[in-house]
Amino acid sequence: MNRGPTTLAEDVADSGGEAALAVKDLNFYYGDHHALHDITMDFPARQVTAMIGPSGCGKSTLLRIFNRMYDLYPGQRATGEVMFDGVNILENTVGLDVLRARIGMVFQKPTPFPMSIYDNIAFGVRLHERLSRAEMDERVQDVLTRVALWSEVRDRLKAPASGLSGGQQQRLCIARSIATRPEVILLDEPTSALDPISTARIEELLDELKEEFTIAIVTHNMQQAARCADRVAFFYMGGLIEVDTADRIFTNPRQKQTQDYITGRFG
Amino acid sequence: MSETAQQMARAAKQRWHQGGRARRRQILDRIATGASIAAGTLLVLVLLSILWTLLSRGLAGISWATITHSMGPPGSGGGLGNAILGSIIQTGLALAMAAPLGLFCGIYLSEYGGKHNHFASVVRFVSDVLMSAPSILIGLFIYQLVVAPWGHFSGFAGAVALAVLAVPVIVRTTEDMLRLVPTSMREAGAALGAPRWRVILSLCLRSARQGVLTGILLAVARMGGETAPLLFTSLGNQTWSLRLDKPMASLPVAIYQYAGASYDDWVQLAWAGALLITCGVLMINIIVRLSARR
Repeated sequence: MNRGPTTLAEDVADSGGEAALAVKDLNFYYGDHHALHDITMDFPARQVTAMIGPSGCGKSTLLRIFNRMYDLYPGQRATGEVMFDGVNILENTVGLDVLRARIGMVFQKPTPFPMSIYDNIAFGVRLHERLSRAEMDERVQDVLTRVALWSEVRDRLKAPASGLSGGQQQRLCIARSIATRPEVILLDEPTSALDPISTARIEELLDELKEEFTIAIVTHNMQQAARCADRVAFFYMGGLIEVDTADRIFTNPRQKQTQDYITGRFG
Repeated sequence: MSETAQQMARAAKQRWHQGGRARRRQILDRIATGASIAAGTLLVLVLLSILWTLLSRGLAGISWATITHSMGPPGSGGGLGNAILGSIIQTGLALAMAAPLGLFCGIYLSEYGGKHNHFASVVRFVSDVLMSAPSILIGLFIYQLVVAPWGHFSGFAGAVALAVLAVPVIVRTTEDMLRLVPTSMREAGAALGAPRWRVILSLCLRSARQGVLTGILLAVARMGGETAPLLFTSLGNQTWSLRLDKPMASLPVAIYQYAGASYDDWVQLAWAGALLITCGVLMINIIVRLSARR
């Protein structure tokens, strides 16, 4: 599709494809604290959207809304709209089990379960599907291969996952979350506890995963956002300052605050 | 030139010396270290002397007959077999009652009883009070509750009393151990779509299993050594009896009976019984240690 030059407004509106998650007028409260203000943005399907901003700006809060993680904590609530597959996932009628199978999450610190490597993967799958032994074996091998962990652990699938290195554990956690065949993967600073080599491997992995999954990643690392993301959203004090292609954000942002942040003048 | 060097050296010494504060710190450090070592040594000595006394006095009373014969009149060559069996039965039954109750209660307090849950605060408080309640009171309580209505002492009543003793210990350790499980584990489970009960049983309890098991074993050790709750409940029995609705012998009560007696063979058996209990408790503690290491 060959389009002519676009106006600025069209450029902003163009999110580069159909939206997997469409956020509209989203507000979030921790008790009385108003943490997110009127967020409206799209997360285009099969792209990596990075969320950046100083600590406490609300980027992780936003991420944790998408799988309704805040439901675990009384007093936290969201208003507005997050459309996913035709449904506003903030509605109480949404089945959280199914939602969380379809929108997976990877956390800052690797969280291997206290069981074998194999069972770490199988645990999530068993919650949602009944697979035969052979099918489960296949699923485990498939996801471990995709996170480039298979060759490292194929001989010790029955060993406790806690014996893996930090980077391996994080790849296991990614494997675990794609094993339930989600459509969206949320990553909350997935490499901040890892060394540079493990970080690089996870970043490579994101590049492959985005062919199949929609990825939303929160990161403190600007280079990481620049390297991995198709689109970048800058948050500040609970508000979305601007969202655009990574190129645009890092070379020619519209807002002065974004400019200041990416050049390290504050944050 | 060398004079300036000397001056500099003196100044440096002064800086390191800090006007005597460094020296004082050093002395205080030595005193504190010395006191800690002395306290530790004293504790070990006390324990060793107890063990030594038990071994030297009790070992002579331990023979095959001690374990295989039931208690009997003085001079009849009786043993402690029925008391050992009675202890095992009552402790086992008590554990079967206390473990599930304590586990579920601990899970409730840790997973559902947050700061603002008043009912949980009450449960926690009651459990803590129960933990420090004098065990003789628990015996009297079960006497009123079970023995008096039935009209006779029973092994079952003894087991109930021991269970009441064990529950708060299990509740406390279960709650504490579950609280040590990081929030990230619960969130990671929930993020996969696991329902809450599944997260608690398959992930939290599983991560905490070592500590929870330790708590249960320590409760067993405590039950195995208690006399007071059994005095008014299972009473004691001179013969082999497996009936839970009848008075039942137990090792601590047998020791209590025999230790004050004026017959030499009974006193000897009391020492032997004390040694057996101590070895049992020691063994449980060693098992706890070994399993904790794995």
